[in-house]
Amino acid sequence: MKNIYMLHQSVELFAETTPDKEAVRFNKESLSYAELFEKSQQLAFVLQTHGVKRGDRVGIFMYKNIYSAVALYGIMAAGAAYVPLDPYAPPNRIEYIIKNCEINIVVCHDRKKAVLEEIEPNLSLSAVIGIDSIESNKTPVISWDTVFNSPSELANPFHGTEQDIAYILYTSGSTGVPKGIVHTHRSGLSFAKWAAETYQLTPNDVLSSHAPLHFDLSTFDFYAGSLVGATTVLIPEALTKFPANLSKWIQDEKITVWYSVPFALIQLMQRGKLSEKNLSSLRWVLFAGEPFPTKHLRELMKIISHASFSNLYGPTETNVCTFYNVEPIPEDQNDLIPIGKACHNIEALVVDEEGQVVADGEVGELYIRGGVVMLGYWGRPDLTEKGFYKRNSFDQFLDIFYRTGDLVQLRPDGNFRFLGRKDRQIKTRGYRVELDEIETTILSHADIQEAAVFPVSDGDGSHLIEAAVIPRADSGLTTDHLYSLLNENLPNYAIPSKIYLLDDFPRTSTGKIDRRALQDLTKNLI
Amino acid sequence: MDTNQVLINYVQTELAKGRKSEIKPDDDLLSEGILDSLGILQLVSFLEETFDIEVDDEDVVLENFMTISAINDFIQSKK
Repeated sequence: MKNIYMLHQSVELFAETTPDKEAVRFNKESLSYAELFEKSQQLAFVLQTHGVKRGDRVGIFMYKNIYSAVALYGIMAAGAAYVPLDPYAPPNRIEYIIKNCEINIVVCHDRKKAVLEEIEPNLSLSAVIGIDSIESNKTPVISWDTVFNSPSELANPFHGTEQDIAYILYTSGSTGVPKGIVHTHRSGLSFAKWAAETYQLTPNDVLSSHAPLHFDLSTFDFYAGSLVGATTVLIPEALTKFPANLSKWIQDEKITVWYSVPFALIQLMQRGKLSEKNLSSLRWVLFAGEPFPTKHLRELMKIISHASFSNLYGPTETNVCTFYNVEPIPEDQNDLIPIGKACHNIEALVVDEEGQVVADGEVGELYIRGGVVMLGYWGRPDLTEKGFYKRNSFDQFLDIFYRTGDLVQLRPDGNFRFLGRKDRQIKTRGYRVELDEIETTILSHADIQEAAVFPVSDGDGSHLIEAAVIPRADSGLTTDHLYSLLNENLPNYAIPSKIYLLDDFPRTSTGKIDRRALQDLTKNLI
Repeated sequence: MDTNQVLINYVQTELAKGRKSEIKPDDDLLSEGILDSLGILQLVSFLEETFDIEVDDEDVVLENFMTISAINDFIQSKK
């Protein structure tokens, strides 16, 4: 078999060996491996014709649809890295990412055209692919029809290496602007190969694609799937909001491997009437992104008792680095299940504040080394430098570890226990959010004197976000003013569910905000 | 106030929180990100209280919540 060392090569391989096998499906539309390969080559051809070179970044700004897969593979086949732009993010944020990442071409579709038209005059794009016209007439547009009437033979086939950049995922940044996590073909493939082997994926598998493309869970759905010639089925975003629709979807699409954040599974269980569905095809339920509350996981495992469950752990910077195949959970267990052991070919260290490896069983920060680790943060050498720890090797080389910022502890059974964050990053229903980014955004309002953003429990193992602010005296500021500012700059999931306007905050003796007392105070305001 | 207007007011002030200035009866609430998982739960409680109807889990489906008009039709079918 051909050696696969870049993420898009598996599609080419199966286009030769099993051309008619279904590669991706969305609603009633479907593409075989041969069709997916041809269409992604045509897109690559068009991209190259419009100047895309090795290492360039190309944006994907679409709701999920059958061409999402064409965009992923086509952009990489052209030698570029793809940058998924959250279709629900406000225009300001999209504009920031396009500029920050120096994206020249965006792959789009009609349903996102209006938002693109809003920001396009402020950008200097060389082309937009997937729409028929653009209001300003400034940027050339190429319709999907034109793309699919283009040659599929590249004039300049991409001769890359596994070390070429493949995709950049933007996530919340603590400095107030999003940061781009840069992955290579190697880091993406290291994870995909591990996953395909660990979960024994076969061409008969049908994988769900639940996570948005800008969320790292999506790399499993596509690349672990295509690595074995399996089928990936994209879930329309709207359906993910309706558990009753979604549980029927899993049944009707005969999904064999499910992968999502715990929140989606809890919703399915509580409101999706899962137990009445025929889920006999399902053989793996994989979850990641956040701790799964034990009582809910135990209940879910009873409902889908024939399937196996696995907890995958890893910040976006490392894809996945530890995993735990869930054993049956005793009725009286309330402790969280562990995040497990390091995946093959990954070294995990637990390190204290002084940078010393702790004794087994002591609490420390998890450092990760291996093929899955990112290259760095786009355009932020300072953050990249801070993110890595370099261990002297043989007094002449350096072993590079990513500092996860997660606190862990090795259990006597050899599995890691997750204890929380070192910093102010939180997860809200699977989404990663830096509380400081929200604070910085609120503080950018001229009428705000001070702001404190904090997480509150949602009662189901995850967090909601709340904010308390001190407006300038006589400014007449209302929460509506703040919400419109936040909505212009932050994705929905980072918008505080409540904002409290206060005259002052509780303080510590040194004058700092007493965040604990502040949270107690706001709790009693409702 | 007619039902459409009651719904529009609620979605506009409580759920959209300024994300969209004017919501029309046939706007796609899902694609535009006005309704998310949390918003749907809030909306369901609002419908149950305001219109004195019972909304089952099976009723909370895309077809019934896609637009203001769809929600209105759904309420009428429950009365």
